[in-house]
Amino acid sequence: MAKDATRDTAWGPVEIHREAARAAADALRSAGCPVELHEPNLPTYAPPGEGKRLAKKHKEENPEYEWRGDSYLLLTDRLRLLEVARFLRDELGYDMLIDATAVDFDAADDHLWAVYQLLALGRKTRLTLKTMVPKADCRIDSLVPVWPAANWHEREAAEMFGIVYTGHPDPRPLLLPEDWVGHPLRKDYQYPDEYHGISCK
Amino acid sequence: MDDTTMERPLREGERLVELDVRTQDVEINMGPQHPATHGVLRVLLRADGEILTGAQSHLGYLHRCAEKIGESVDWLQYLPYTDRYDYLSAMNNNLAYSLAVEKLLGIEVPERAQYIRVILAELNRICSHLVAVGTYGLDIGAFTPFFYALRERELLLDIFEKICGARLTYAFIRPGGLMNDAPAGWTDQVRAFTDLFERKWREYWDLLVDNKIFVERTANVGVISEEQAIAWGCTGPMLRGSGVDWDLRRDQPYLVYDRLDFEVVVGQGYRGTVGDCFDRNYVRMYEMLESNRIVRQCLEQMPEGEIQHPEVGLVLRPAPGEAYVGIENPRGELGHYLVSDGNKIARRLRVRGPSFSNLALAEHLLPGCMLADAAAIIGSVDIVVGETDR
Repeated sequence: MAKDATRDTAWGPVEIHREAARAAADALRSAGCPVELHEPNLPTYAPPGEGKRLAKKHKEENPEYEWRGDSYLLLTDRLRLLEVARFLRDELGYDMLIDATAVDFDAADDHLWAVYQLLALGRKTRLTLKTMVPKADCRIDSLVPVWPAANWHEREAAEMFGIVYTGHPDPRPLLLPEDWVGHPLRKDYQYPDEYHGISCK
Repeated sequence: MDDTTMERPLREGERLVELDVRTQDVEINMGPQHPATHGVLRVLLRADGEILTGAQSHLGYLHRCAEKIGESVDWLQYLPYTDRYDYLSAMNNNLAYSLAVEKLLGIEVPERAQYIRVILAELNRICSHLVAVGTYGLDIGAFTPFFYALRERELLLDIFEKICGARLTYAFIRPGGLMNDAPAGWTDQVRAFTDLFERKWREYWDLLVDNKIFVERTANVGVISEEQAIAWGCTGPMLRGSGVDWDLRRDQPYLVYDRLDFEVVVGQGYRGTVGDCFDRNYVRMYEMLESNRIVRQCLEQMPEGEIQHPEVGLVLRPAPGEAYVGIENPRGELGHYLVSDGNKIARRLRVRGPSFSNLALAEHLLPGCMLADAAAIIGSVDIVVGETDR
């Protein structure tokens, strides 16, 4: 197979994934799926002293400061996740789920982010799919029926963030002991004082 | 056994001995202290005689909260923790994390640093595959090839020791470049190794891979189909062993891999079926030769110059945002998903380890196999538990 000239940065191709995100968003929207395409600017480098000053200035002038990174798709209605996942796999060729995880950005936020990294082996593109999971009703459909790879990733996210993946075939804890209290990667997690008589202080 | 269940009158002196024998499934704990589980993985096996009827992996014995630690130390302070996920390929782990942080910062390191990074990553790949192939022989009863493999690994560890002072956990490739430049004479030592290695490689092939007993134990055992490998998110030799032509170094090139000429080794079903244990080992064997070729090309192309981005200090403050970078580790795709809020500490640091996804499939391969094949199948996945548990 011929080599593709897709390398545009030292950390890997970027532009090809941006185009893929645009194409996927168009296809999903025309199929009636509730997705938004976000195309933040890529990070740019500012020298250390300068960067700190700029960040401070930026924060004062604009508290909602600019988010940087790769393009991603935001699913606005999390209840339609399975439908979107099936469409991505069957119609757009995203045959591999690389990672499924969650992010708790701030303890004050009322939602977690569920983040999925997808890979299309045929098109050689990546896609990031995100959706919000409210902390008050912390449940989301399991993607195991679409990609079996989600199995352990979701078990890990479930114990670390307290997300309930409905329809998961094997919802036991994976890395933590079965009697562990709390969800360690939540920002409001309280460290335990003791565990089975062992002091943790 | 069929004779005893035949309904015929008993001859004189014949007794019914097996008609009333009931078999009961036996549950066997393989691990957490079992040499074939490469660390502290525990697999609960259920067997009906010699045939496995079920398997369940239990993880967490080596869980060291890497992701939680990532949310409490500086970006640069986290680097040594990356060494400890997959301790057999620490250089690659450093590289994966450094590239992700560099993406978040929006910087690219000087060209010389990129070439040295590729050399180290590929030498580390050889080093890791040597252990994988050697211990795989050990798992299924071939003791000698292990020592042959460790003999060459020792030369590689000397090379690593010369450039960074450590033999296993390096913390050498760091966000912004490298810890230091290659010392005098280092490239000659690497060149000497690449020349030696091709000759030595033949020995492992003759001693282990072409050995009839090895072939009998691995061919047609633990077959993973192409669809299964993709659906379960397998990467690296697990995926290529099943005949999928996918390598991030070629298909999503990072650093200077687009300038290098190498083949992606794919399982051929050389001794049995495509995707059996033999093929996964075959891919690892030939990948070592390809890595050797890459190292040689890098030595020729490597320019002089800086090895560190001039303005990256010790305290990094990436702009608020996120970055995902996945690179081809010896075991598959090691991805870091980093989220920054503009501070000197990560908001979220997610590690996607290749062994984690590869192992998830293994327990589904075991039912229906012979008990003795459990070691062959788990060994062929080549897990490092430090990475599945993190």
